[in-house]
This record gives sequence, C-alpha cells and structure tokens, in this order.
Amino acid sequence: MVFSAASAPADGLAVGARPGTPIGIGDPLLARALAGCADFKAEAEDVLPVMTGEGWRVVVGLGEPEGRNARRLRRIGGALYAAIAGLGPVSLTVSLGLSAVESAELAYGMTLRAWRPSERYRSKPDPDKVVLLAQVTVVTDAPNAAQARFARLSAAAVGASFARDLVVAPANDLTPERFVERLDQLAAYGVTVEVIDPAAAGLNLLAAVGQGSVHPPRLVLLRWSGAPNGDRPVAFVGKGITFDTGGIDIKPAEHLEEMKGDMAGAAAVAGVLLALAARKAPVNALGVLAIAENMVSGRATRPGDVVKSYAGQTVEIIDTDAEGRLVLADALAYAAAIGKPCWMIDLATLTGAVEVALGGHRAGLFTADDRLAASLMAAAEAEEELLWRLPLTDAYDEALKSDIADLRNCQWERGPDALHAARFLQHFVPTELPWAHLDIAGVAGVDEDGPLAGEGPTGFGVRLLDRLVADAFEGA
Amino acid sequence: MKISFAKPSLPAEGALVVGILEGRVLTASAKLVDEQTGGTIARAMAASRFEGKKDQALLLAAPAGLTVQRLLLVGLGKADSIDALAAESFGGTVVAQLAAAGDALATVAIDVIDGAQIGAADFAAHVAVAARLRGYRFDKYRTKEKPEDKPSLKKLVVTLSESGPAKRRFAVLDAVADGVHLTRDLASEPANVIFPATLAAQAKGLADIGVDIDVLGEKQMKKLGMGALLGVGQGSERESLLVTLRWNGADDESAPVAFVGKGVTFDSGGISIKPAGGMEDMKWDMGGSAVVIGLMKALALRKAKVNAVGVIGLVENMPSGTAQRPGDVVTSMSGQTIEVINTDAEGRLVLADALWYAQDRFKPQAMVDLATLTGAIVISLGELYAGLFTPDDDLAERLTAAGKAVGELLWRMPLDEPYDKQIKSDIADMKNVGGREAGSVTAAMFLKRFVKDTKWAHLDIAGVTWAKKDGPVTPKGATAFGVRLLDRFVADYYEKR
Repeated sequence: MVFSAASAPADGLAVGARPGTPIGIGDPLLARALAGCADFKAEAEDVLPVMTGEGWRVVVGLGEPEGRNARRLRRIGGALYAAIAGLGPVSLTVSLGLSAVESAELAYGMTLRAWRPSERYRSKPDPDKVVLLAQVTVVTDAPNAAQARFARLSAAAVGASFARDLVVAPANDLTPERFVERLDQLAAYGVTVEVIDPAAAGLNLLAAVGQGSVHPPRLVLLRWSGAPNGDRPVAFVGKGITFDTGGIDIKPAEHLEEMKGDMAGAAAVAGVLLALAARKAPVNALGVLAIAENMVSGRATRPGDVVKSYAGQTVEIIDTDAEGRLVLADALAYAAAIGKPCWMIDLATLTGAVEVALGGHRAGLFTADDRLAASLMAAAEAEEELLWRLPLTDAYDEALKSDIADLRNCQWERGPDALHAARFLQHFVPTELPWAHLDIAGVAGVDEDGPLAGEGPTGFGVRLLDRLVADAFEGA
Repeated sequence: MKISFAKPSLPAEGALVVGILEGRVLTASAKLVDEQTGGTIARAMAASRFEGKKDQALLLAAPAGLTVQRLLLVGLGKADSIDALAAESFGGTVVAQLAAAGDALATVAIDVIDGAQIGAADFAAHVAVAARLRGYRFDKYRTKEKPEDKPSLKKLVVTLSESGPAKRRFAVLDAVADGVHLTRDLASEPANVIFPATLAAQAKGLADIGVDIDVLGEKQMKKLGMGALLGVGQGSERESLLVTLRWNGADDESAPVAFVGKGVTFDSGGISIKPAGGMEDMKWDMGGSAVVIGLMKALALRKAKVNAVGVIGLVENMPSGTAQRPGDVVTSMSGQTIEVINTDAEGRLVLADALWYAQDRFKPQAMVDLATLTGAIVISLGELYAGLFTPDDDLAERLTAAGKAVGELLWRMPLDEPYDKQIKSDIADMKNVGGREAGSVTAAMFLKRFVKDTKWAHLDIAGVTWAKKDGPVTPKGATAFGVRLLDRFVADYYEKR
C-alpha cells in the first residue's frame, strides 16, 4: 500500500463516481466504455470494473457527499478490494479525489478485506481464490499525512489479522501448546508473555475443563506496558477453547468442526494486545487467555463433578458443554486479583442463546456499569463491530442454584442461557471493578462475505477494543 | 374475595396483619399489638429469623391478649424503599400466607411510615389491589375440590385513618384488576371453550360498559384482502374473525391509541406441526388478544379520558386437508406477498393484516401490538422481561417506564435493517421465517414491513404470558402481562387530564 501525490502507471485505475453525476466526465475512454450503462448507481460500495482498450478502469461509487465518513470509506475500500482482487490487475492506482484521512481509511478497509486464510493448509492454491492484486497506490494531495494515518490504523489491522489467523487454524494446528507458541510473535512488539499451569495456580475450573485432553490447559498473561509503571492496566480476558467437543456432554456431529473457533475470544484478546503494542499505545494493558481443549476421554470431567474455583466458590458442573463460563470464571478472578485492573472486559464465544437473541449482526453486551456500557457502545458504532446490551441481574441466581455446591454452571430447562452465563461470570468479578462481558458467539465468524471480512473469521473485538482504549486513554 | 377499607380498630376475629420494618422496627400498629399482647411480637421475632426484610412473613397462631386467631407479621423492608410495587408485594405476601390458613377474614393494619416514597392511602390501595391480583384463581373446572383445598380467605379489610382516600384510589386500580382477571380467564380457558367465535363473544360482553364492538367474518376479510390472516385459519373448522373494540373516552375526535393483539386460539403449528410435549400450552397463544380485551375493559371501567381502539385477529391454526401448506404464497391486505415457509410462524401473518387494518382504518397516533410471537424470545430474555421492538425512541422510553412502574418489565431489542435480509424470499416479497438466528428480531422486522409511518411498538410476550411459579401479584398460570403496563402507558402519556 503506497500513497502518492501523482498517479503511478498501473494495470488498473480506480476512479470515483457519485449518484446522479454522469460517469466519465473528463475521461473520454470511460465515458465511451460506459455509454448506455444505466444500472450502475454509484451508491457507496458499488464497484464496477470495466476492461477497456487501455487496461482496467474501476468505477467506485462514493455515495452522496453527506455521510462520507471513515466507516463508509472503509466499506468502500473493502468493496473495491473484494471486486478486483482476483480479477486481473496486479497493480492498481486508486484516484478517487480523497483527502489524506479519507485515503488512509479507504486503504485500511482494503487491508482488512484482504485477509485470507493461510495457504499452509493447502498443497496447491484453489484456482477460485487466487489473488492477483499485489500493489495498490492511493493518490492523494498529502501522501505523507495519509501514510502516517494509515500506519496508525494498520496496527489494528495487524491485530485483527492475527486473531483471524488463530481462529481459522484447525484444532490440530492450534492445540493449547501451539496457541502459546504462536503468541511468541507478540514478543517482537514488546508484549511480555507469561504462561501459567492452571492446576498449580489453583485455577481448578480451567484445569477441570482441560483435563480430558492430552494437551494440557494453560493460562497466558500478556502484558503491554505503554504507560508509567504505576498506572493500573485495562484487562482483557478471552475464552480460548481450542476445540470444544462439549466433553462428556458431547455435541451433535453436524457442524462440530466449527468448534475449532471456540477460542475466538482469546484470539481477539491477543489481537488487541498486538494492536496496542504495534502502535505503541500509551496505556498499560493486561491480556488473559484461558486456553484449554474440551475433550471426551476417560479422564474428562463428568457432569455432576464439583470443582472449587480460584475465587473459592464451588461449582457443580451440570453440563460439561457449558465450559466457557468455567474457564472464564477462573481467568476473570485471577486477572482481577493479580492485575488490579481499572477495567476488565472479557470476550467469549459463550452461548448459542446469544445467536438466537441477536444473530450475526450484534454481539451481546452485559455489564452493570452504565458508563462502560456507553463507552463500549460508542466504540462499537465507530468500528461497526456492533453490540446490543442485554440484561444482567441477580434474578438469574435462581437458575444457578446447585443442590450441593455454591453454584451450578447452567440449567437444563429451556431459558435465557446467555443471561444466565453472564450472571454466572459476575459471581467471579469483584463488585467494585467495572467489568463487561461480550458474548461473541454469533459474530466471531460470518458465513457470507461482509464489507470488511470475507466469509470466515472476523476478528471481532480487536478493532472495537483498540478503539475503546484510544477513546478512553488517549483522548483521540 | 371481598375487599373493604375501614378506620383503624383491632379486629375481634380472623387474622390480623401488621407490618414490620427492616431491623425488626415495629410500625405503630405493631407496637400497639405488641403492647396489648405483652410483648408477643418482640418475643416471636427474637425466636425466629424474621427481621422485617421485604416480603418476609411470620405467622403466629392464637396470640395471647388478642381475640383474633392469627397474627401475621410481614416485612416492609427499609422505609425509603417503600413504593407502590413494594406495597403490592406486601399485599401479595399477605394473600399467599393467609389464603389457605383457615381464616375467612383478614384485617391488614396500614400505618403512616416516615420516609416512605408513598403515603398510607396509596400504600393501602396497592395492598388491596395486590390482594385481588394475587388472589386470582381459575378453578371453574374443578368439580370435586374438597372444601379444605379451597381458599379460606373470603374477606379482606384494610384499616387506616385515611380510609376514604384509599378507597377512591383503589376504585381505579380495581377497574384495572377487573381487566387483568378477564384476561387471565381468557388465557386459562381451554381451546375447546375459547375459539374465535367465543372469544369474540367475550369481547362483545364489553358492550355493556360502553365499548363498541365490531366483528368481521371471513367473507368480509376476504373482501379486504386479508390473505395472510385467512391463510392461517383455513385449516380449522372454526371461522376466523377480526374484532375491533373501541373506547371513546376523550370526548373529542383525537386520533386513538391502537392496541393490536395476536389471537391464535389454538396453535398446533398447522402442517408444520409442533412436537407433542407441552403443546397444551398453545391454548394461550391468544394471550396478546386477551390482553387487548382486558385492557379495553380496564379503560372503560375506569372511564379513561382517551380514545382507544383494540384490534384482535382471531384464528385457530390447525392441520387438515384444507390447511395452508409450507411454501404457499399469500397476499396480505397491504398488497405485499408472503411465502409461508413455516406454518408455525403464523402469529406474524395474523398480525400483518391486523396491524395494516388498524392503521389504515383508524389512523392511530400510536400503535402497540402484543403477541406470544416467538420461542426465540424465551431464549433471549427468559421470563423476567418481554421483548420490546420499536424504531421510535420516545415510544420505547414511554413503554419501558410504564412497565417499570407496574412491575411488568420490558427490554428493548434491536430492530435494524441488516436483520431484514434474513426474511427475503426467492419468489415472494418476503418469507415468514428468517432462521434460528435472531428469531425474535426477524419476526419483528417482518411486522415492521406492515407498518407505514405510524408510531409503533411490538411486544413479544411469549416468555411472560404464563408463569411457571408464583410472583408477587401473579399466581402461577396466566399473568395478563401487558394489561397493567398498557393501562399505565395510556394514563401517563395519552389521557386528557
């Protein structure tokens, strides 16, 4: 991605168009090529590539001038990339008459949309998914300003790509140990990585979830210290079930392979830490990843087992497939105890119920803190990683009452499991600590192409939380 | 149960109820009784775990120094937390404790409590209405109930010095309670008793109190083009009906507030038939329409100064040789076509035409529909909140506030365009289901397509219409959720003062 004041020669030239304005004014070639073509409306995200006698022309709809904000430009960038990546041009000059900031946002959208799963899982490329586009030059009056802005945005893109890479990795390539190894990449950016054996640290819930697997569970602490030592960190906690069979309460076979993505929360946390470090954010951040593989075996946790949590409360494990809340309970309590954070936010592909409630368009937000809720909602809107607040009340304690232990992890009766899960977690968080839980089960992956992510993992949460930190700590 | 108000005096018989504040602080009446009984209350509290916390209760039999058979202590909680809902919770506890204790008469002594959010008269009125609400019982089909299994409590006397004002305030609340009882009766009735014609007949009963009733049959609906509603009912032997209930209490021609109710008197699912387990619950799939009828009764009885109109679509969804099939395409009154993918997503089909009719015919200033619409809302919000869907922030605030005030809680759910694509059909304008994800939201998005520019809100009450356990003012069973909420909504925002 290059920014330039002058139009560089390339295989393709992208030009802008607005609704209601004739296309190709001052560009006789394009005017001729599009003569009589009426169905291109030039709405935002409309892209029309045309093969002309002088190479590719790509008409990019910019929409109405009002509402031309960062979000729209990213989407336009994403749409442009998706339309031409495999079409033919290897190099593209984008000349849409955009300012430096707009150019950077457009390039950011292209970068986000450009993520592809690693080729390592294929022995030869899929001919349907070939990417030919290799060089993009965005023309703008102030290329240096655009480059600076883009560098700042790219940090989040790097974080999001890292998270997507982790989510898409098959579970035999991302066992708990392999997950931990992959985190070495963060060290290059100045993030410290500490790995803890859950059983030795009293994280018995995390240990119990992982005990059925030959790959032992791990708690990982990631620290980015961008602010003075004394500043309390913001803590992000992620559910990292590298594969979730459901355990003894095994899941049905259909779509079980999707459970390789049940570590998307932990991946997002790693991605956020990477993004903060990559742009040297002036903040202290603690990432806590609860990593385990939930397997069926002769030594797996049984339904009915009672386990004492790190926080001291005992939990009767009614359903071994409600394991995310178990690993998070210990991770949250541990993060609060050792990190003394100013805020704590967890992300987890936690419940099917949140998909029934909100689908793939919004993640569930649970918090008792109205200010944190407002900050998260604002960051979510700005990044188009949308949230919807759902109830968090002690009324659900009834559903979490165990006959023999302090708590049970769920109920079998049909009910609002996402709400119950959130309330369960709240029992492990100190009351005075502002805390929010994001249930991302519906949004961590998409099954059709979106503006900033193709079908597959989204990296949901990385941009949102990077933005939250920027808004809260950097006055950006 | 007969309820009356009287000046304070210690009763000679039955049960006596006094309030205790948190921390075992005696109210004036409790003090009086404690003195009269030589410290019985203080001793009883000391010997038990009763501390006066909200809704705690301690029943004392044969208290010395009194002629009553029983003395009931009920916790009031902290003085500054005493509001109308706390009063109702108190009244509900009284009934729960005494309904079958053996006494026919109970006297509840109400005191002025310093620092409370409401005065004694309000407190007393809300205790009384709670007694009515919690004392509701649907026992008409029990032919062999033993006397000892029936409630013993027949009469409740609420005593306080401001008995006059309390009685006047209760009269208003009592009207609403009448509406609630009617709604509960209708929802509790089995589907061989309540079907479109008999439910319409129940609505017609409101003519006596000044509600205008208009009933459209299948022929007339066909003429109006209500293909969506008619399709749902076509498998049943029973004729589908659309009933309009009008209460014109505003003394002017102001645009009415409209309430639209889903009235599927039995929902077998149709050809997309439901599993057998729990299917009997589908008798209350007309809960939304029952709320509309009960609400109209409440408004009429208390002569609300508002123009209100209720529109209820009454159908029975049955599988049969004439039933509609999955894949059928129907044309709604709005002209929009619908591919019926799942005949068990029928509520939205009924509402589509009922909503269109209500706004087309009455041009309401605001329109609220209620429906036991989706199973997804039970998974989304459980039994504590009904789902609130509206594009209008003001309406959302008004409804949420009204719900909070009466203890019928709403939680707003999203209603944005991206969900709309889930109901795109391959061959028609839309399909009637959008898949498992966000099932309640896509149902609401479907309804939104049948609302023009009217201010509109949709309440998905599938999780709150039938309670599996007792609540403060709702015995297990039909709750009538929505009657009190919408009555309050009308009173606070639409009534002429």
